[in-house]
Amino acid sequence: MTTVTATVKAAPRRVRPLRLFAYGLAAALDPLRLAGLVVFALIWEGLSSVLSTIILPPPQNVVARLWTDFLDAPSLSYYGVANPNLYANLLYTAENVVIAVAIGAAIGIVAGLVSARFSLVRAIINPVMMTAGTVPILIAAPFLLIWFGVGRLSAVCLVIFYVTVILYLFAQRAASNVSPIYEEFARTLGASQRQIVVDLLIPATVPEILGGLRIALAGAWGLEAVSELLGSQEGMGKVLEVLAGATDSEGIMASLLLLGLVAIIVDAIAGWAVKRLASWNAGLSSERN
Amino acid sequence: MKLGARVVRDRWISLGVFIAIAAIWQVLSVIYTVEAVPGEPMVAGWQVLFTKTFLSMADYWAGGLGVPSVAEGADRSYPAAALSLADHSLQTIIRLASGLVVGGGIGLALGLAVSWSRWTRRLVDLPVQFLRTLPLLAMVPLFQLWFGTNIAGEILFVAYGIGVIVFAGTVNAVRNVPSIYIDNARALGASRLTLYRTVILPAILPEMRSTVLLSLGTGWGAVLGAEYLGAQSGLGYVIVYAQQFAYLDRMFLIALLFIVYTSISYWGVSKLTARMLDWAPPSQRL
Amino acid sequence: MSTNVAPRMIELVHVERSFRRADGTDVKAVNDVSFVIPEGEFVCLVGPSGCGKSTLLQMLAGLLEPSDGDIVVGNKPVTGPGPDRGVVFQKDSVFPWMRVIDNVEYGLKCRGVPAAERREIAWTYLKHVGLSHVERAWPRELSGGMLKRVAIATVFANGGRVLMLDEPFGALDYVTRHQLQDVLLNLWNADGAGTRRTVIFVTHDVDEALSLADRIMVFRSGNKVDDIAVKVSRPRTTDSLLLPEMVEIKRKLLHHLGLDHAAGLDAVADEAVA
Ligand SMILES: Nc1ncnc2c1ncn2[C@@H]1O[C@H](COP(=O)(O)OP(=O)(O)OP(=O)(O)O)[C@@H](O)[C@H]1O
Ligand SMILES: [Mg+2]
Repeated sequence: MTTVTATVKAAPRRVRPLRLFAYGLAAALDPLRLAGLVVFALIWEGLSSVLSTIILPPPQNVVARLWTDFLDAPSLSYYGVANPNLYANLLYTAENVVIAVAIGAAIGIVAGLVSARFSLVRAIINPVMMTAGTVPILIAAPFLLIWFGVGRLSAVCLVIFYVTVILYLFAQRAASNVSPIYEEFARTLGASQRQIVVDLLIPATVPEILGGLRIALAGAWGLEAVSELLGSQEGMGKVLEVLAGATDSEGIMASLLLLGLVAIIVDAIAGWAVKRLASWNAGLSSERN
Repeated sequence: MKLGARVVRDRWISLGVFIAIAAIWQVLSVIYTVEAVPGEPMVAGWQVLFTKTFLSMADYWAGGLGVPSVAEGADRSYPAAALSLADHSLQTIIRLASGLVVGGGIGLALGLAVSWSRWTRRLVDLPVQFLRTLPLLAMVPLFQLWFGTNIAGEILFVAYGIGVIVFAGTVNAVRNVPSIYIDNARALGASRLTLYRTVILPAILPEMRSTVLLSLGTGWGAVLGAEYLGAQSGLGYVIVYAQQFAYLDRMFLIALLFIVYTSISYWGVSKLTARMLDWAPPSQRL
Repeated sequence: MSTNVAPRMIELVHVERSFRRADGTDVKAVNDVSFVIPEGEFVCLVGPSGCGKSTLLQMLAGLLEPSDGDIVVGNKPVTGPGPDRGVVFQKDSVFPWMRVIDNVEYGLKCRGVPAAERREIAWTYLKHVGLSHVERAWPRELSGGMLKRVAIATVFANGGRVLMLDEPFGALDYVTRHQLQDVLLNLWNADGAGTRRTVIFVTHDVDEALSLADRIMVFRSGNKVDDIAVKVSRPRTTDSLLLPEMVEIKRKLLHHLGLDHAAGLDAVADEAVA
């Protein structure tokens, strides 16, 4: 008896989150991967030395531009952007992304889980979501801009729309992927309905739903930027729009670089959180030659 | 309930849902009569959409085939409207298809090449991740700057959007091939090249399917993006033109047409790829 | 062993292999293992789960590099996988995207054997394992036991002189398992005693090892702890397992596996018989 309890206690040695984070960092700092970035920059550099700076500014110019524009970009005020720096516009975009992802995820996850459990609900919602998911953003955006006017509301609505569809699909798939064996087995072990939901459905669906959330989050930046580009007074999209009007390729690339960097950082944090929350599943995605 | 019966039931329900949505739209058009601009209702009823709105498509007909254009002084006519829609659709589809072929082909080839060894895979990992996070549609201005507003530039833009997705999807799919199949083939004496042809390629198919569907969606978005900013033809051009005058009904008609096209393309691609996945268990063929 | 005149087929010298787990801890899966197997011998590896049997097999197959030590098969050091060593894996390895017959032909195809000839060979082995009726089926349409038979036919058809099977029958029912044991022994014997292939067979099942093996090696947490010759003549039946020397070996094996209790009971029964 004592040996059994001892092994049970010893067995689930929890991997400390910090350690996991360190491993993630080590993987990210893998010299070969960093070398990849260097090669990328070198190719860019090489191309830019052949082409004119107006077409393709060299990477260091773009980085320098990002550095200066981040806190203060007077040229933007000249084009009529409310806050003449990248920082404030990024914040505006980020706010919208957060609001939209939160609302869209809540709707999508609930709808997806419910639809997986009740086939009638699924039959009703599925065609709507499937159709909605195929509408390109550039088709949907003009309607929202006319209906809700130029501003925060139309951009947020657009992003909510897509986040909802993505999470609906992921949540539904996650719930229907849970093999019925687990539920049956839990029943035979005497689990109550509540326990089945808490101990089984939630842990079993969380990894996939979080994966979907990550994808939605990554896409949301782009969607938000584009809807701002089509009609907004603020945000990174607006910045891109005025820079495009001024054919300022260096400024465009600096803004894109900023968006990309932020998206990567947010995604890395999200990925780390996913790993922590679904550590039992982490091995599945680990790399093997 | 039997599975077959449920499928039939679900089909009827979908149909019912679409009819219900159409009916609600119609009711809305009667109740909510606000106009975006004078003469242009915010919500156009079906009777308007299929007559006046459809006819107005004749405005976008450039003339030819014996059907005179509005610009040449002719009245709006149904043949001109139909031809106009067909012509612009064709333009859009040509751009999309070319982009798919170029971008998909290059993306797949590069993805397979890079998967050849763990080294190359690691080398391209970060740059590709970075390119993938850049919002594609926000790059339209950049592509315009680079390639101007000609059809080659538009196709390149679509190809780029699709290529990045297919490339990343291929690398990922190769990585996910169960190592047992690779081990087995190697133990049976397969050379590297044979391994690629007979094991890796078929094994990535189920996963590539969702990549292809995803890139198709991106492709439709990208082709609109390309047309939005500068093209003189295509459905994207029509919708931009309509938006400038707040012709909501025309935008709605084009949007409907687009939904039909995208649905058909998804359906077609999934049918096509399903045939290549005869061998896979049904769960992988969804 | 010393009386055996057959040439050395497999030679392991101080082979070791450790793994690093995802959480950073190191595991020594195989620890200083050495042995020699002459050509044509049927060797069973037994040992508790996780003792390193699959790891050892993977190294022999050339799919995994030893951390230390040398492996020589057929006088050539193992540097990678090759058709001279066939493997039936513990997990299902039959390619789901090829029909059954194409799977069996696959190794031959890799080596450039002409289509007609390889179809002939594949067909022969498919018949041997009793699957000629599902020649054109997809693997997903087969049962677990049938899939194992396809895998066995594939490696036999490929003609390697060394065959390694990793718990091939572990997940099968009693009857199927015995049928497949017979299939395997028939294939092994098919060309007569002089031209037998060398077989390394991993199993958890003590009775299976006793009825198949010329020699049983016992592993425990990465170490080879015993090496027992089984001299009982073939063909063996269920009655062969009751021979005193078999019972003696079984008792030893059970002891190694930590089942002294069961081994003790056997001993009592033996005395009663005597
Ligand atoms: N790729 C790997 N990474 C980390 N540890 C591994 C790896 N492969 C095997 N191990 C460890 O090595 C040890 C031996 O594993 P192996 O698969 O060889 O066992 P086995 O004897 O075949 O067990 P079983 O009879 O259950 O198949 C185990 O402790 C296992 O956890
Ligand atoms: Mg094993």
